[in-house]
Amino acid sequence: MTENTGGAQDVVLRTTGLSKTFAGITVLRDAHLEVTRGEIHALLGGNGSGKSTLIKVLAGVYGADAGGRIDVQDISAPADEWSPTVARSAGLHFVHQDPAVFGPLTVAENLAIGRGFVQSVGGRIDWPASRRRAAEVLERFSIDVSPKTLVSNLRPADRTMLSIARALQDQEGAHDGVLVLDEPTASLPAWEVDILLAALRKYAAAGQTILYVSHRLPEILELADRVTVLRDGVQVATRDVAGLDERTLVELIAGRDLERVFPERPDTVSDDVVLSVRGLSAGPLKDVDFDLHRGEVLGVAGLLGSGRTTLLRSLFGDRPADSGEMTLQGTRFAPRRPSAAMKAGIAMVPEDRGSEGLFGSLSVRENLSAATVSRYWSRARLQHGRERGDARDLVTAYGVRPASDVPVAGTLSGGNQQKIVMARWLRREPVVLLLDEPTQGVDVQARSEIYEHIRRAVARGSSVLLVTSDFEELAHLSDRVVVLREGRVAAEARGDDLDPQRLTELSYLSKEISA
Amino acid sequence: MSTVTNTEPEQKTIPMSPRRGRPGLSVMLEKYALAAMFIVLCLAFSTMSSTAETFPTLANIKNVLGSESVIAIAALASILPLTCGQFDLSVGAIIGLSSIVTASAAATHDLPVVVAVLAGVLAGAVVGAFNGWLVAYRGVNALIATLGTSTLVAGLISLYTDNQIISVGIPEGLTNLGSGDLLGIPRPVYAIVIVALFVYYLLRHTPYGRYLSSVGASPASARLVGLNVPRMILSSFVLSGALSGIAGVLLLARAGTANPQVGPGFTLAALSAAFLGATAIRPGTFNVPGTLLGVLFVAISVNGLVLAGAADWVEPTFNGAALLVAVTLSTAIARRRTGQS
Repeated sequence: MTENTGGAQDVVLRTTGLSKTFAGITVLRDAHLEVTRGEIHALLGGNGSGKSTLIKVLAGVYGADAGGRIDVQDISAPADEWSPTVARSAGLHFVHQDPAVFGPLTVAENLAIGRGFVQSVGGRIDWPASRRRAAEVLERFSIDVSPKTLVSNLRPADRTMLSIARALQDQEGAHDGVLVLDEPTASLPAWEVDILLAALRKYAAAGQTILYVSHRLPEILELADRVTVLRDGVQVATRDVAGLDERTLVELIAGRDLERVFPERPDTVSDDVVLSVRGLSAGPLKDVDFDLHRGEVLGVAGLLGSGRTTLLRSLFGDRPADSGEMTLQGTRFAPRRPSAAMKAGIAMVPEDRGSEGLFGSLSVRENLSAATVSRYWSRARLQHGRERGDARDLVTAYGVRPASDVPVAGTLSGGNQQKIVMARWLRREPVVLLLDEPTQGVDVQARSEIYEHIRRAVARGSSVLLVTSDFEELAHLSDRVVVLREGRVAAEARGDDLDPQRLTELSYLSKEISA
Repeated sequence: MSTVTNTEPEQKTIPMSPRRGRPGLSVMLEKYALAAMFIVLCLAFSTMSSTAETFPTLANIKNVLGSESVIAIAALASILPLTCGQFDLSVGAIIGLSSIVTASAAATHDLPVVVAVLAGVLAGAVVGAFNGWLVAYRGVNALIATLGTSTLVAGLISLYTDNQIISVGIPEGLTNLGSGDLLGIPRPVYAIVIVALFVYYLLRHTPYGRYLSSVGASPASARLVGLNVPRMILSSFVLSGALSGIAGVLLLARAGTANPQVGPGFTLAALSAAFLGATAIRPGTFNVPGTLLGVLFVAISVNGLVLAGAADWVEPTFNGAALLVAVTLSTAIARRRTGQS
């Protein structure tokens, strides 16, 4: 805490000696967080750094260990007695990565659910008054939608802003509380992030105190006034953002000088075509052609709705193609279900890790062997000992934390969950590995480890098809990139064209150009 | 900057052979709480003046074990669909159906005992397949689907039997299985042991069991590791139906008559035991030892209370309470395990 910028300011949120222990493992140790009035304070940290735990303690979701203290404005309570009710009455408002808005309801209804409907005689909802009030709130938070719009029709950034407005609507300009934003941009496409950030800056300028959690460092450098970094459950630093750069932040998070987040890109690409796709049509995809070579990382660029995910799903047999020819290692390939694709040597890490990748209530070990269970079936029983041994080796090899195969996978942090899903598929040594947003919601440290594993897989002869909306990642990791636009391959980039700006241009351009 | 005293608490080397390092006291408590309560209850009934003479006798224990055999097998049947995330409320109705089918095949149609028994078990499997088809391929909610088939089956039984008990002509070969001892142990206990070993083996030692729990944990993830999710769900209902069919045959063997009314009463008792079981031994997971413990716990409680002079209201009241407590507890355990406490 030596680098704290002084104690004279008006502190809105303060934690003192906050610790949290799970089953004998300390995940948060003696955290001292201070957020002053009207600032945007970023909270940073890698996997298992205790960042999420700190937020959950503040929300009252986890009870902290005895001994700590939490002060919010004039409310002060021992940390082990902090509860969701206390947090709410103290003016802490939480908005999470997936804004908890109700798609089938209108904007006005969503706002009213937070504070109650305006009622008239007999408890009947006074719709005109409810809509008027909603319109005022939308105006105040500069959200340009009608109160009657269905939330499912809003763009993602507006949904997030709506959930912020819902949380803050009762403050009526007093700006007394603290808005806690937990990775609000993780599931937003780049151009929507800008809209949200602009809105946040405006709220802060009006005096709103914001605690901001994100993995995206450029965002933090652009937005935050101060930053607190946690590592291994310990608070490493609190600093003014002015004068910091991305590299310094990465070093603070990782605790060592990361040479670079992206690994070297040795030339592993051979001339053999492993997978050849001709005239593939499926859903939004129209007549897609491309070749994937052995040892190649082929990036797929494109905006949402360009058919990127459908492409991977078709190759994995989860959404069989409508027409087209595919050849895998010289034989015709037309998977009708995932098991057929797996048999042919395809593996897929899906985009939605939580609901489509992980088995949240099963152990790390069961998650690791989910795609290889039959290997342990011998002599009329599952060889649990062998399975456990392999799982432990994988946990070590992939640096999963905590370093054990026993915990329930759902309790691990996002980056560790992703490592588990990656390990599950890479252990099959796939011919073709399909990756859909492999580093979404994953911190810098885990990201660089995941990149390492991708590189190692291609060095062993696998080929990778990589879909990601992070153009930086695409540019650094891919040997070649195909750009999908409205379901068609619109361009191909290699060599000098492989830079984020160029890929962005290629994805957004509406006219076909030669690459 | 700040003093880093112990940043790697989880880096401890893991001992090689035992499953975990040192399970904490709370973990042990959770695992064996039901077993401990069971023992306390047995001791209490053995010492309480009103039951001390009747409860801890060989005859009473044999009676309890024998009479719980049907519920035990039904509970074991129900944990297969439960493991893949589906309720089966038709186990009771299938028990009734199977006992009527078996009795009718042997008594009315003079078929050999083996054929009659197979017909009973098959009838159960067919109803299970229908349930599974509705749930897995038609997307019907399992509670509604199995409640529907259960009512339908009860209606058809009533139509077929005219609500008359089948009591004449039940082969002795069958009733002998349900009564008497073998090597000093009531015969139905052997049936429990065989079915329990079968379900245990299936769930713990075959890929099939792992696939079922994968589907139960996340159907979408299961699909993307190549599992045929609808087929898994269907098969779990077929197995549940067939095992319930065995329970029905056992019911006939014990009672010596087939009563068209009794089946549905077993459903709730079976589910209570299954959910109680999910709070013990392997908390958060439906498991065979826990389920058996759940059956015994409820049985001993009711038996003791009845011996102590409590009246008919005890059994339904206790079963209902046990189910609610068990479901609440197992939900809480599952939540805490996945970190959403």
